[in-house]
Amino acid sequence: MNFIPPHSRREFLRIASAGALGASLSGWLNVLAARAAESKVKHKSCILLWMDGGPSHKDTFDLKPGTADGGEFKPIKTSADGVEISEHFPKLAQLMNHGAIIRGMSTQEGAHGRAKVYLHTGYKEGIGGLVYPSLGSIVSKELGDPNFPLPNFVTIGPRSYGAGFLGPKHQPLDVADPARGVESLRPLVNESQFQNRTGLLEDMEAGFYKQYQGTAINDHRTTYQRAIRLMECKEAKAFDLALEPESGKKLYFPNQPAQSSEPARKGGGNNNNNKFAESCLLARRLIEVGIPFVEVTLGGWDTHQNNFSRVKQLSGIVDQGLSALINDLKDRGLLDSTLVIWMGEFGRTPKINNRQGANGEPGRDHYPRAWSTVFFGGGIKGGQVIGKTDAEGATVVDRPVPVIDYMATICSILGIDYNKQNETPIGRPIRVVEKGANPIKELL
Amino acid sequence: MLSKPSCCGILLVTAMFFGVASVRADDTPAEAKAKAKLLAQQKAEAEKSKRDEGKNTSASIAIRVVMSAAANSANVVKRKVQTEKPKTAEELKKEAEAKRIEEEKKAAQAKAAEAMLKERLAKMPTAPLTKKIDEAIAKKLEEEKLPASPKADDAEFLRRVYLDLTGVIPNVEKTKAFLDDKDPNKRAKLIDELLASPVFGKHEGDVWTKLMFQRLTENRGIRVDPLREWLEDRFVQGESWDKIVTGLLTATGTQEENGASTYFLAALSADKMTDSISRLFLGVKIECAQCHNHPFVSYKQNDYWALAAFFMKVRLDGNPKNPNPKGRVPSIVEISATQGKGVARQKNLPEAAKFLPPKFLKGEQANVEDKEPLRPVFAKWLTEKENPYFGRAWANRVWGQLFGVGIINPIDDMHEERVPSHPELLDELAKVFVAQDFDVRFLYRAICNSETYQRTSIPVAGNEADRTYFSHMPIKVLTAEQLYDSLNAVVSVANLGREIPKDKAAAFAAAQKRGALTARDQFVAFFDAGETQAISYESGIPQVLRLMNSPQYARGASLVAQNLTRGLAKDQAIEKLYLTAFSRRPTSAEMEKMTKYVDDHPTDGFGDILWVLLNSSEFALNR
Repeated sequence: MNFIPPHSRREFLRIASAGALGASLSGWLNVLAARAAESKVKHKSCILLWMDGGPSHKDTFDLKPGTADGGEFKPIKTSADGVEISEHFPKLAQLMNHGAIIRGMSTQEGAHGRAKVYLHTGYKEGIGGLVYPSLGSIVSKELGDPNFPLPNFVTIGPRSYGAGFLGPKHQPLDVADPARGVESLRPLVNESQFQNRTGLLEDMEAGFYKQYQGTAINDHRTTYQRAIRLMECKEAKAFDLALEPESGKKLYFPNQPAQSSEPARKGGGNNNNNKFAESCLLARRLIEVGIPFVEVTLGGWDTHQNNFSRVKQLSGIVDQGLSALINDLKDRGLLDSTLVIWMGEFGRTPKINNRQGANGEPGRDHYPRAWSTVFFGGGIKGGQVIGKTDAEGATVVDRPVPVIDYMATICSILGIDYNKQNETPIGRPIRVVEKGANPIKELL
Repeated sequence: MLSKPSCCGILLVTAMFFGVASVRADDTPAEAKAKAKLLAQQKAEAEKSKRDEGKNTSASIAIRVVMSAAANSANVVKRKVQTEKPKTAEELKKEAEAKRIEEEKKAAQAKAAEAMLKERLAKMPTAPLTKKIDEAIAKKLEEEKLPASPKADDAEFLRRVYLDLTGVIPNVEKTKAFLDDKDPNKRAKLIDELLASPVFGKHEGDVWTKLMFQRLTENRGIRVDPLREWLEDRFVQGESWDKIVTGLLTATGTQEENGASTYFLAALSADKMTDSISRLFLGVKIECAQCHNHPFVSYKQNDYWALAAFFMKVRLDGNPKNPNPKGRVPSIVEISATQGKGVARQKNLPEAAKFLPPKFLKGEQANVEDKEPLRPVFAKWLTEKENPYFGRAWANRVWGQLFGVGIINPIDDMHEERVPSHPELLDELAKVFVAQDFDVRFLYRAICNSETYQRTSIPVAGNEADRTYFSHMPIKVLTAEQLYDSLNAVVSVANLGREIPKDKAAAFAAAQKRGALTARDQFVAFFDAGETQAISYESGIPQVLRLMNSPQYARGASLVAQNLTRGLAKDQAIEKLYLTAFSRRPTSAEMEKMTKYVDDHPTDGFGDILWVLLNSSEFALNR
């Protein structure tokens, strides 16, 4: 029964991936076979690297050396002709031929809460009394397979924005700590007892809903159904970073000893080098099994004080994690189908303020009028800069990009019809992106 | 006789939940060492408590289960423990003794307050307002041609009023007594009993603490419990809302001296104070006017900063990120002048900040000297009976708390463009509340006694789609706090058949005083969906996974079920589980189904049933 005919390896794999052979294959073959099956993913995917707090554009991707408030960082040349970025992104500089910098972001919200909602959803908070879906929920709705056993939207790090009127089916699964994966994924009782319990639960839920109706009951029930499905599916292994081979880990943590099964870390959030790199690695694993949208948060960009030392440190974290991610996606043939976005909620003031921090260094304040975001992969035309700010980085002088244009651009790259109208629970038609959007054609 | 677990009980359970460390492979050597030490201490403690506890084996299993479950939540505590000097046994004993005396004093005060409040409630003239509520709702239902759902049965009412007024489900004894009581006035009696009880005051304190204290990076290190205790005391003592708010707004000193100063310590710049104060006490969100003129409403940027001017003189003494017990403890002061030489401006103000003379919201300029403290002037304006905002903000919030939706929504964003569902009713509620000298219990009593509040949440033909006119009670989602307290009222030390060792409670209280996060804080942080509507279910897959699979609730359900059903006949056992988790008896169809289930699954059938009840919509929601 275990007789393997002397076919070529390619032929063998084809048969293996088609499921013609039993489960008795050796380990490495199983992995390869699984990968052949995984490449069935048809839709594009997106990894949003959310830079929480609003990164200073003048100290990252839109440097103004030699001007009064230009700051202390120097620009460096990149692999894209004529494109220069901060000296603290040396690895990323080698990959700018895959990326495009949008230097003309021009939005209107300057307070964190409202700006985060605006840049996540494309709608100003509270407009029309609705809660709007965030980008991940839009992608989950438009690109996600409803029968996919995993959630179509995962956030890594602190909680982000949710599904709004699209409902809990499109709520993100939050992974608080990438090294821990999804908590409580296994039942404490044996499988048959767990099935008895969930069977009885479903029975009760149906009865209660029949009597009381109410959307909250239905939402509760749906959430349980999704959680139970997640527990039962084999793709859930993608959440376990410990299963990543050493070669993969090495790419993200080059300075770690090879035998370390989990990278060491200190502090909370994603606000340290390894945590962010871990999150990027987890994001790649999730994209690979077919989850269309993963959001990773890196906090600490609200540099009212000590701007330069903090931006330098954060840039190093980004440089390591993001360059590893791009190289990894490239090696796996996933870069063209995966859009990687680097963005925060706004930029920072062109002027350096006079708020001396603890070690006597000033900062920059919130600034939504002119700022930068960066795209990599996803099939865009890389190696370019879109738009331009004036000498101070204070005003957009070429191709201003308001939020609706930005959202429409992302939708277009991912293959989502941004003019489509979705209905709210009470039947109000709402566009994916507000009317009048004008996507950036140069990228497509 | 009330069902909320005694203070001590909560402390103990939480102490067990969080006081456990685990050593991880990735710990640094120092961390691992510290943890190992802690672990050894805890092990010794656990052994000791096991010895103390005697022969109750199922309970000791439960404790171990609970302890291993807490391993992931130990990190926060671990850091605290490392930085603290270990206290001597003598010191701990002294602390525990002081705490005990303090608690006894408080308990005596609460008892006296309860007696006083009972008298006050008995004479409280709420009946005319109750009538007006029902008339206003009925009139609108008629206009909208919506049929009203019938009165809720006793069990539905009981669970609802307990969750709304005390934040937790009733216990089995209370449930049975109420359901079997033949007194036609039993609902009104229960409402008064709950409103007079300290548990109502504590619940209000909990609700308002959450609204008043937003955890931000700049206030890490500020403890939240002094504010909670301060508020609880005021609500328990029956203080009126205008006095409570005045106390908050004019507070000075350290947290130790005056718990109310926490409100300002947590929001340390004039703009944050202005945002919070206008939302909570004026019922308006004017924060958008911070940077620009409000898009819908007539609030201008200058209105915002003229209001903020009242809080520009508040200053912090000490460092809120790192309070040093030996150095300056963070404290709130109000300086004498905002202008002049050597007067530094408040830190952390946004770029758009303007410095204007103080002016009341849409009112006249305040007539004040620069040297005068400004907050008392503002507090006086705010709590004047003529103030059009203060009473309305309270009325709409109380309505929203009881019905899940306000008469205007969002409940703290009342402005000209938002159409109230029942404008005259809101005016009336506000008017009566003010006329009754801002008595906190007045509107609760008037509303809870109304037919409108006591309607079932089961829709009838023709009113299923109504979300606005209160034709049936909206189904509310339990807040993270209500869910935690209710789950732990079921999976409780008492229901596990265990006594409460006093030394544990004292050690836990000491840890909390040092600012450690409790298991409840951690649960709330994990389950809290932020500012969402009380009627929408927002928990996601991770939360649900924890409810289904965490040892404290999954294994806990089995252990509690075993203990509760020991020696009972099958139908009695099933009834007891329903009374414990659902505060009602099973229907005959349910009884039949569950009996069959237990027959088919003799090993852990009761455990399965309790697990199902705890994970059901009926438990997670307030019907």
